[in-house]
Amino acid sequence: MIVVWIILGILVFVLLWVIITFNLLVSLRNQVHNAWKQIDVQLKRRHDLIPNLVSTVRGAMEFEQDTLEKVINARAKAVSAVGTQQKASAENMLTQALGRLFAVMENYPDLKTNQNIMQLQEELTSTENRIGFARQLYNDLVANYRTKQEIFPNNVIVSFFAGFQKEEYFEAEESDRAVPKADISIRPE
Amino acid sequence: MPLTFIDIEKQKNWRIGILFVFLILMYFLISAGLLFSFFQMIPLGSHFGKTLLFSAGRLFLLFFFSTAIASVHFYFSAYDTVRYIRKNINATDPDPEDGIHKQLMNIMEEIHVVTGNSVRMQCVVIPSLAMNALSAIDMRGNALIAITEGLLSRLSRDQIEAVMAHEAHHILSGDCLESTVASSLFGVPASLVEKVQTFSEGRAYLSPAFIVTLLLLKLSQFLNMFISREREYRADAGAVRMTRNPLALAEVLHILWRNWRGSGFIGSGLENLCIVNPKVSSIDESEGWLANLLSTHPPIRKRISFLLTMAHVRLSDLETKNKTAAIPIPSEQNKDRYFALDHKYQWQGPYSLAELALLPWFAALTWISTGGTSMQKASDMPVLNDIFMKRIAQEGTAQTSHPCPVCHHPLLKRSVEKTRVMQCKFCGGTLVDHNRVFRIIARGEDGYSERIRTLSKITLKKNQLKKIARSVKGSEQNIPLLSCPQCKNKMTRAFYSLVYLIDLDRCSWCRVTWFDRDELKMLQCMIHTRMASERLL
Repeated sequence: MIVVWIILGILVFVLLWVIITFNLLVSLRNQVHNAWKQIDVQLKRRHDLIPNLVSTVRGAMEFEQDTLEKVINARAKAVSAVGTQQKASAENMLTQALGRLFAVMENYPDLKTNQNIMQLQEELTSTENRIGFARQLYNDLVANYRTKQEIFPNNVIVSFFAGFQKEEYFEAEESDRAVPKADISIRPE
Repeated sequence: MPLTFIDIEKQKNWRIGILFVFLILMYFLISAGLLFSFFQMIPLGSHFGKTLLFSAGRLFLLFFFSTAIASVHFYFSAYDTVRYIRKNINATDPDPEDGIHKQLMNIMEEIHVVTGNSVRMQCVVIPSLAMNALSAIDMRGNALIAITEGLLSRLSRDQIEAVMAHEAHHILSGDCLESTVASSLFGVPASLVEKVQTFSEGRAYLSPAFIVTLLLLKLSQFLNMFISREREYRADAGAVRMTRNPLALAEVLHILWRNWRGSGFIGSGLENLCIVNPKVSSIDESEGWLANLLSTHPPIRKRISFLLTMAHVRLSDLETKNKTAAIPIPSEQNKDRYFALDHKYQWQGPYSLAELALLPWFAALTWISTGGTSMQKASDMPVLNDIFMKRIAQEGTAQTSHPCPVCHHPLLKRSVEKTRVMQCKFCGGTLVDHNRVFRIIARGEDGYSERIRTLSKITLKKNQLKKIARSVKGSEQNIPLLSCPQCKNKMTRAFYSLVYLIDLDRCSWCRVTWFDRDELKMLQCMIHTRMASERLL
């Protein structure tokens, strides 16, 4: 009789553990999905801001139509892109085009005195940061989720139930990796 | 549920429980002491009093009574503190029309993104030239990050972000709650009393308010022993994990190290909420168990060195960089100088481009010389032509319905130091909202020409005489008061302060200040020169 009770106890314990771990994984998965959507929100914000910026600077930057065209085209591609892989590469193209535009804008001191442009530039800088931070949060959450999936004995549950696929990290482009964030103007000798 | 590293680092707030127990104990001892001395006074002798005092029922009653008082005290200091703290530091919401404030609001949003929006934090600005930032959260969940105008005007975007991330980490990791409660139990009331006391005159050292403040502050300092110094290191590390930019935070700390951090402005009870202690004290800069116990902030030098190790930068490099960046007063000497021929055919100047644009008589046909023998009409010089183009462009869109109080031309909406003001194109006067004056003063980005510096010195001397004349009744010339461009009431005329003697017209109804031409720049120059000289001492 005691043996039956012990087995029953172990079964209840295992069942409880399965339920708790399953719920934990579900909630982590949803957090990861939510973080992915947050990146989308920020990308949308960037798409909305670009036409404003282009129409404001167009008059002052007559000789840089080429750069402006590239930004407009990159935006159009990014808006119409489908699928994660295509989206990511289109967004990276857009980031590069915008970076070039900002670099060229430095040559036009007139633009610096224009409040509208300065405001738009601030908004875009902020959006770029938000995109970066949203990706950072996403990657943190993915790392956390993956760890919880892979550790023993959680991996048993993961293999038992369908629906816990491995989430992919948001990878930076090769060109982005080359740019360090720290200020390199005062490097130690 | 661990969300990110912030949740992993979250600590148990058991210290708040200790604070509550401390309160109960304190009230118990006080009431027991009062009761004991009361029974001592009864003429029947102390025996009667003692037996009554130490009976179990009476002790229980005493305990119940002190718990009730402690609960009320705790409720008021833990549940609605953020509102009181905000009032105490006179903080205001950032102004979306202001360039730098807008940037601050954006940075706050970025911090929300990086922390996964787990707690909504309110961001406010403290109108002070001091350099500090603080965070607070109460048990209702109202979170607040405050930053001073002085700090905001000195830091770059990355640096502001580092400060905000540091403060956000305090709030999210939960250590801010315990320090807010610890400081609000006695520190916030102490700061309130302190503020009232500074307004009252007389022998301050004998006033009851002073004794109360001192007592509350001592209690607050005692509670600060519970606040660990380590939390600042942790918040620094958290900020780096959010922004991935250790150098920016190191630069901020280095700037704070050498500047006025708001001692005297930020109440003594709120010190432990700040990023660096407003008061410079030797105990903060030393180490050892005694310093760890008594001080709430670790040595800044050590914090900087940790951050610099992460950034692979040496302290000497940072110092040389900051030294070259922080030249006391920005100068415009290297820029172009222009001389202009006025309507009496006299050469005036030298002027910078911005000053030229403000000259009332400067027009397209004015003769301009750059110092040599050659001269040209203003319209023939492409650089100057832009001024007229801008004038035309601005007149159409930025004109307001308010007339200039001096020359009655309509005022134009302009932006000075990224803040919205109204300016007269003809006399060069500026109308500024009261709450924006401080911001403009804090941001001396444009630099001062030699002319402004000399002018401010002369005006200061002249106004010192004027001040004496004003104290002798009737000896001053009567200049008619200006009427406010908005409400048409007469404005009052007074000096900006007793130190910075610039005569200003203010309308207390509309809460605006009128600066005649150059007065705003002169005021800025006076304050910055004084601050720079103090920094050098």
